[in-house]
Amino acid sequence: MRGQELLLAGAIVAGLATAGLPAAAQDIGIGLVVPLSPPGDPVGGQLIRRGAELGVETVNAAGGVLGGRKFKLYVEDSQGKPEAGVAAYRRLVSEDKVVFVPGFFHSSVAIAANEVANEMGVPTMSLQASAADITAKHYEVAFRTHVVDPVRVSAFMEFIKQKNFKRVSMIAETTDYGIGIADETIAQAKKMGGIEVQKVPFDRTVTDLTPQLLQIKAFKPDLVINIGVGQPLDLIIDQATTIGLLPNTPMLVSYDAPVRPQYWKLHPKNGAGIYFIAYFSPKAPLSDIGAAFSKAYVGKYKEDPVYGALNGFGAIEIISQAINAAKSTDPKALIKTLETGTFKSWPSNPVTFPRAKGVYWHNWSAPVLILHYTKPMEDWKEAEVAVQYAPVVPKD
Amino acid sequence: MPLALETIRLVKRFGGLLAANDVSLAVEHGEIRGLIGPNGAGKTTLVNLVTGVHPPDMGDVKLGGQSLRGCAMHEIARLGLVRSFQVTRLFGNMTVSENLMTSFFARRNRATGDGTKQIGNMLELTRLGPLADTQAKKLSGGQRALLQMACGFMVPGSCYVLDEPFAGINPVIKDAIIDMIVDVNRRHGATFLVVSHEMAIVRRLCRQVTVMMEGRVAAQGTLDEVARLPEVIAGYLGKALE
Amino acid sequence: MFSTELVVQTFISGTMIGVLYALMALGITFIYSIMRMINWAMGEFYMIGSYLQYALVALLLGPDLWWLAIPISAAGVFLFGLVVQWSLLKPIFRKPPEARDDYATVVTLALLLLLRSLATGLAGPNQFSPGSDLPVVMVGPLPMAGARVAAFVFALVALVLFYLLLRYSWYGLALRATSQSRVGVQTAGIDVLGVDRIAFGIGVALAGLAGALLAPVFLVYPTNGLITTVKGFEIVVIGGLGSIPGALIAGVLLGLIESFGAAFIDSAYQNIYGFALVLLILALKPTGLLGERGREA
Repeated sequence: MRGQELLLAGAIVAGLATAGLPAAAQDIGIGLVVPLSPPGDPVGGQLIRRGAELGVETVNAAGGVLGGRKFKLYVEDSQGKPEAGVAAYRRLVSEDKVVFVPGFFHSSVAIAANEVANEMGVPTMSLQASAADITAKHYEVAFRTHVVDPVRVSAFMEFIKQKNFKRVSMIAETTDYGIGIADETIAQAKKMGGIEVQKVPFDRTVTDLTPQLLQIKAFKPDLVINIGVGQPLDLIIDQATTIGLLPNTPMLVSYDAPVRPQYWKLHPKNGAGIYFIAYFSPKAPLSDIGAAFSKAYVGKYKEDPVYGALNGFGAIEIISQAINAAKSTDPKALIKTLETGTFKSWPSNPVTFPRAKGVYWHNWSAPVLILHYTKPMEDWKEAEVAVQYAPVVPKD
Repeated sequence: MPLALETIRLVKRFGGLLAANDVSLAVEHGEIRGLIGPNGAGKTTLVNLVTGVHPPDMGDVKLGGQSLRGCAMHEIARLGLVRSFQVTRLFGNMTVSENLMTSFFARRNRATGDGTKQIGNMLELTRLGPLADTQAKKLSGGQRALLQMACGFMVPGSCYVLDEPFAGINPVIKDAIIDMIVDVNRRHGATFLVVSHEMAIVRRLCRQVTVMMEGRVAAQGTLDEVARLPEVIAGYLGKALE
Repeated sequence: MFSTELVVQTFISGTMIGVLYALMALGITFIYSIMRMINWAMGEFYMIGSYLQYALVALLLGPDLWWLAIPISAAGVFLFGLVVQWSLLKPIFRKPPEARDDYATVVTLALLLLLRSLATGLAGPNQFSPGSDLPVVMVGPLPMAGARVAAFVFALVALVLFYLLLRYSWYGLALRATSQSRVGVQTAGIDVLGVDRIAFGIGVALAGLAGALLAPVFLVYPTNGLITTVKGFEIVVIGGLGSIPGALIAGVLLGLIESFGAAFIDSAYQNIYGFALVLLILALKPTGLLGERGREA
């Protein structure tokens, strides 16, 4: 009996504590939808989360927005699955009352979430998902601060032209991202002419990719483009090494996974020689807030921030500036302000989200790089810059 | 000296059916007791209660004076109370020898000696020798019954509970099973509780029989004594002996 | 495209992966044949095996002693299996409730979620690799990772040991007998719950062994058991539930069909070919290639 009374008292106190926080209404909720568990890429999600968390700390430490209101970050796991991402978006908007939902590492999750966002009205910002449809549908709510697929593929083409490759194989996961990139590559290669392209798709859940890689080896390509995300990407590197495809044939990884610290832990011997797309290099100048963030990040995590973390931080900075400029947290006003204003993020170039043509709608991105590891255990900051491609954004 | 097998006021209810109603039974050492009664009288239920398949709702079973309350089936078997089933529970995909071996290993102790020799004895006794390496599922019904009996005799038990060992078996094998029972009874002084409908065999084997009807003990005595009781004639023997 | 070399390479690669799939299926089918329940958490025992292997190699023994880590990992999973049977399954099996299978399903599904969350909680969602210093080996015309060849050899050795245990030991006799009549063995004086414990331990140890063997090849992360479990169940359906030779034959068959399908039909549907075979088998012979119609009396 005594125990029950204690429990009851505890429950009442806990209830009062929650109820007694009307100040919480002052907080502005920001949602974050990122993959934190497989089959998503949990590392990618974790890096964005770190950046966003530090961004919220920075904004709040500087006094918040609208004269003192603080940001509160609600993080949801998309598991890299569209249905989980959609559920996360719904929960954030309807239960947590957030005013802005950045994140989105996997393109299929971003595309699915944008369909719901288009109805519910709270804007999204895709930080590392690159499929065309995310912005090409010209939804009012859809924003992005990432390289779109055609730009990424243009960077591939720049590289292929420069190295004079004639036969190109792609091993692509059967997702919006993988197939999107592969088909865009085929289209751009056709336009360029003189290149034979092989496309070998695979299911993300398959762990033994030897049959696919044997097909590629039989094709005798000059270049293999590894269009896997997360664990398949690593399996492809290892299994390609086994069957002798690597290091004899150069391999290009379609995003910046190799800059992550665990890349060399997983591939201490066969990781050298890899080319990979990157969106950031220490050689590129940072803005003042980007530099301050970088310092805080190193202090907290004892490693340099990479692109995902920088973009996570950037999203929080951009929305804080937009809320102050709009003098409101109303989604419609925020969208209007984002479309018309100019903002500051981690790079030195200004950030805008114009209602531009095609995939460039509501889209801003940093220049695309192709980096090259020339020796084992090389620091990514030392990696050779093979290609630096500035996207040409068609103006309205 | 305590009784070989004793049940004390056993009660077992299955839903609304009172399958065992205050059943008390006392079997002496070295006795071959017959258990007869019409179908549905609770004979198999009693066997299941005695061998630990079902726990009784009330009452107790004692083997050589020791209570079996709370004992699992295999523990009861290891204490020396061995049963056979109406439908044989052999290991169909295993050979005759392997079936015998399994029963031997499970209950062996320091006194049991060499298993292979005992298998030889049993194969000879049952005349299953030529089938030693045949899978049990390929045997005839009678051969299976013989094998099941032989499995029980691999390690001599103190008490055997046999549920319909003669049902649906040809006369030659029936005789072989009777011989085995008599042999083990004489040589090891083993006690038997034999459930059967075959009055001729019961008369041959059992000095005393217990009659069960509607879940309770209706009568006990020699077969001729109980056969004279009007209640038994009305409920069972009248029909069985027609 | 259809070069002889590619065909031979595809054949070898399919066979070798098939044997490892079979190891997983064997664990599922073996536990089923004894306990008449399906252990849905099989993949999590695979996962534990892979984490043990990683922990032993990376933190304790070093990469040179990988071969020593493998039996230790499998033994660790065996012991864990004993604990699981004793604490979670035995209480279900002690009393014979009508819905024993349903209880076992719920318990093992809960175990699946628990173990997966524990792995994520303890080691994070990231993938690890214990690494392997073994050189690449030429198997016919196919270069294969040393670790994968080693996994194949270890798997064969484990299969032979498993066969010898079943065929020639007293435990094997008791296990085989239990798979045919649980009542029969109890009458013979065998502690059937004790047999269950050993069987569950051995069954999950087979999965743990597969996890330890494949750790350097397919990486270590919280859900790495998922795909092998799915394959394991496909194999069990193809080969026939409860049939040990069926599991071996169907394992190799599935490996071959997936490899050839991916190489010569369309690589995007590698996971579909196995399911197609499952559907075909269910339509033509619902008990599987070597499955039995019912239990033996």
